[in-house]
Order: sequence, then structure tokens, then C-alpha cells
Amino acid sequence: MSVLQFIIANYKQVLFLTWEHIYMVGLSLIIATALGVPLGIIITKHEELAKRVINGANVIMTVPSIALFGLMLPVLAIIGHGLGKVPAVIALVLYSQLPIIRNTYVAIKNVPPSIRDAGKGMGMNKWELLREVEIPIAVPVIIAGLRTAAVMNIGIAAIAAYVGAGGLGVYIQQGIDRVYPEMIISGAVLVSLFAIIVDGAMALVERIVTPTGLKVQKRLVQ
Amino acid sequence: MITYDHVTKIFGEGANAVTALEDITLTIEKGETVVFLGPSGCGKTTILRLTNRLESITRGNIFVNGKNIREQDEVKLRQQMGYVIQDIGLFPNKTIADNIGVVPRLLGWSKERITKRVDELLTMCRLDPDVFRSRYPAELSGGQQQRIGVARGLAADPEILLMDEPFGAIDPINREQIQDEFLKLQEKLQKTIAFVSHDIHEAIKMGDKIALFEQGRLVQYASPAFMLTHPKNKYVADFVGADRALKVLGIIFVRDVFNPCPENIVQGLATAKETLAFIEKEDINYAIVIDDDKPVGYVTPKILKYEQSPVRDLVKAFPDHVRKRTSARDVLSFMLMHDILTLCVVDDNGNFAGTVSYNDIQKKIRETYTGEMKKDKGDRL
Repeated sequence: MSVLQFIIANYKQVLFLTWEHIYMVGLSLIIATALGVPLGIIITKHEELAKRVINGANVIMTVPSIALFGLMLPVLAIIGHGLGKVPAVIALVLYSQLPIIRNTYVAIKNVPPSIRDAGKGMGMNKWELLREVEIPIAVPVIIAGLRTAAVMNIGIAAIAAYVGAGGLGVYIQQGIDRVYPEMIISGAVLVSLFAIIVDGAMALVERIVTPTGLKVQKRLVQ
Repeated sequence: MITYDHVTKIFGEGANAVTALEDITLTIEKGETVVFLGPSGCGKTTILRLTNRLESITRGNIFVNGKNIREQDEVKLRQQMGYVIQDIGLFPNKTIADNIGVVPRLLGWSKERITKRVDELLTMCRLDPDVFRSRYPAELSGGQQQRIGVARGLAADPEILLMDEPFGAIDPINREQIQDEFLKLQEKLQKTIAFVSHDIHEAIKMGDKIALFEQGRLVQYASPAFMLTHPKNKYVADFVGADRALKVLGIIFVRDVFNPCPENIVQGLATAKETLAFIEKEDINYAIVIDDDKPVGYVTPKILKYEQSPVRDLVKAFPDHVRKRTSARDVLSFMLMHDILTLCVVDDNGNFAGTVSYNDIQKKIRETYTGEMKKDKGDRL
């Protein structure tokens, strides 16, 4: 169990790198949510925008992460942040946009028209309809989008070690450079473990924020 | 009161323009239920959605209680009208109480007032508040959900109700029942109702008047009885059906035709001899025997001959009695079944209230076909 020995021997650094990883993923997720959820909601009211926004997010998603870092380097170098956490967080925010925007858009769009019609017909304004009906019904699917984004970002953040962003990817990158298998495997296992834990935690969040009425509905349909 | 004044609705523009409604003018009086009837695509739902501005009017005006709806805030306008739709549209994330309380909450009612109102409405819909208050829509049957839909529409006690095939999604047996419940409710509430339906039976049953549409045009606007007896053209005649004379029977009730003081009545204690004399004097075929205000049966001269006892011991009983709210349709069906041409009408306590005969009904139908022509001319279009 040399991997375990490696982790125990370097536990201080392990904790620090883990913290860096959490920081990058957490910060990017907060920013991505603040951007993506409102954008996803806005485009449900503007169909012509919806296609463009979602296509745009799709294009970003198709760019390989390592290539994206390369592309951002000269641009961010102008403000002195070509390497480090800044390009990493920007990349993570960009990659998160597709699952977050798409899930928000689809979730709101899928609110049955009869429910929207009833709300409107009873005299709810757009904002009340959104707050009291559309968002509560859409929230499980929106959280599912965040969950996808979070798990994906943990993987991409590991690659960000190549632009000096730190995080658990450092072990994988340096381990490869130094041909140090224990180090590589420690990094890989820790990143995977982190991803699994976050996935589980997000699943829990999903369950907690789902309105009781929807849970009842789901249970009865099954 | 809702007034539609030369209302036209065109969807789309230019070559794609579709005229959904063309020059509709009609008035729904206060406390009246008007059914917008017609096949799908005739514009009946559109006119309802114009009323609460879910769709915008292309030309013409709609006045609600004399105020032009174009000049009112659309959200405020909708809050003062109840809205009930076929798909119900209950909010799955809210409890039944919160669903019913939507409009009161939008109007800023206090919590206690909303709670009280919710319980009141649940009771009115014959759903136990303690059981249903905190349930979710998914836990209710279709019929129960539809009742909640109606309760939600009534929550803020609006003067006007817009109902778009409100009972369309329910199975026929439950539908009949909910329709009956709603009619009873409406008798008390006296709302002004615009009611969309594609079902002629429902229209006859629910409507004080029927507005029949065909491809965006109003073909005939009249009371159900008038429309059944005087269809304006072949389209109306076809729509109301070849059996329209029978349908008329469904809207004539015993209270409209019965004879409250028939002459062939004898008291139970009268002797057979007296009764026989009475029958001969009045030149009738039989006498109805009343005892302690209740009809006990009838006697004919054949029965009475050579008898001594009071007539109440000699009677032939009626198979059953009818009530004032029984429809002529049910009465006739009963007469056919039991081979009898006269029945007694009783009140809720079983006390004698009069008689109804086949001739009474026939006379009324004849009147409906001829007399109403003059009487209804006033509100015909």
C-alpha cells in the first residue's frame, strides 16, 4: 500500500491540493450558476436567442480543455494572468455553461403549458409565475445540470495543473514527469474520490430541493 | 355582465393570417351562464381567452361590467375573473390549500382569511378540508382535481367565471355528478359564466343561453329550448341533433308543467259510495286518494263497485311519485315503463303537491315549439 503511505507521508500537501481543487471547482460553479441559470431562464422567453446561446455553449464544450488553456494564455497574459488559477476558473465557468443553461432552459420549457396557462389566466405576472410555479417545478432538473457541471469540472480542474493552477492534478502531472507511480495513482484516486463524493452530495441536494409535491407525484407515477 | 362588441380575432399576418373570430357581438347578462358551443376550431376557446386578455383582440371591444378591457391592467383584470380549464393546471409543487389560495394571495388577503376561505371552498366541493388541505394534486383522482380546479376559480369570489371545457377530462359518470353539483352551486352563487363546450348535452344542461359557433362566426345565440325547437339553419339543426325534440324533454321539468290543484282528488276517509258518486258527477275515469296529505293511490269505478270501506283501503298504489325538479324526460320514461299516464308530484317531505300527466307534457312541448317564438324574439340576435 505504497499509495496510502504516500498520502499519509504527504498529508499536509494532500490537504492543500485538495483545498485548491475545491476552491477552483466551487468558485467556478458559483460564477457559472450565477451566469447560466438566469441566462437559461431568459432564453425561454426569447426563442430566437435560445438557439444561439445553446449552440454557443455547445461550441465551447467541443473545444478540448488543454486547447482552451492554450488559446486563453496569450489573451490573459496581457493582464498578467496567462497561467495560474484565473485561466483555470474561466475555463471551468465556460465548460459549465452548457449543462447549466441547457438544463435550465429545458426544465422551464417542460413545465406543462396548462399549468402556465392556469397561472397566467388567474392573474400571475411573469415574475410570480416564475417564482411560484416554473422554477419550483424546474429545480430538480436545474440541480441535475449543476451536478453534471460539478463532476465534469473536477476532471477538467485536474488538467488545469498544466497551466499552474494547482489542485490534485499536480500529482498526476508531476508524477508523470518524474515517473513516480505512487504519486500519479494518489492524484488519480483522490480526484476520482472527490468526484464521487461531490456527485453523491449533489444528488442529496437535488432530493432536498425538490418540492414535496413533485416527489409525491413521482412516487405515484412509478 | 360581459359585452362583446363586433369582436374580430385574426391570428398571424399577411398570407398566413387566419381569422379565428369574425365580428362577434353578444352580451352575457349578470348571473347568466352562456355556453360557447361548437366543433373544435370554431373559435369558442379563442373568445374566452380574449375575455381575460390571454389573447389580444384584433378589432372590436369587450366590456366587462361596462368597462373596456383594453383600458384595464391585464393582471388585475384576470384576478377579478375565475379561470377554470380542461387540463385543470393545478400546480404540482403546491398543496391543495395553496393551490386554491393562489388568487387570494395575489390579492394580498391575510393568512387567516385565506385559510378560512380554503376550508369553506373545500367543504363546498364536498371534500373534507382536514383530509385534503395539505395533500398534493398528484394524490387526488381526476374528479377531485377538477373540483379543486373549480374551487380555485371561485377562491376570490369573482363575479365572473371563465370555464374552458372544465369537465371535459372526466369520465362520463363523474362528469354528470360534477355538473349537477356545479349547477346546484351556481343556483346559490349566481355567477356570470362564460362556459366553453363542444358537447350539446352539456350545453343544454349548463347553459341559460347557448352561443353556437361555426368557423369563427356566431350562428345562433338563444336559450337551449329555443335553439332546440327553432334551429336557425341546417348547421344548427345538425349540431343539436335529429333527436332534438327528445332533448327538449331534458330541459322541461315537472315544475313547469304539473297541475298543482287537480280536481279528481278524494280524501282517504271518504267511503267507496261517496267516491263513486263523486267520480260520476265529475265525469272522470279515476280519483286520486290523499290520506294525511300523502298520495296513497288511485281508485276507479270498477274497484269501488259493491265496496263499503273507506277508499284508502281500496286503492291501487302508484308505482312511484315524481318531484318538481324531475325532468320531463324522466317522467315520460317512467310512464312508458309502468304503462301509466298520470303521476303524483310530491314535495321533499312526500306530501302531495299535484299531478303531472302525459297531456301536460305534450301541451308544454307544443307551446315551446309555437309560443316561444314570440316570447324569445326580444333576446334573439
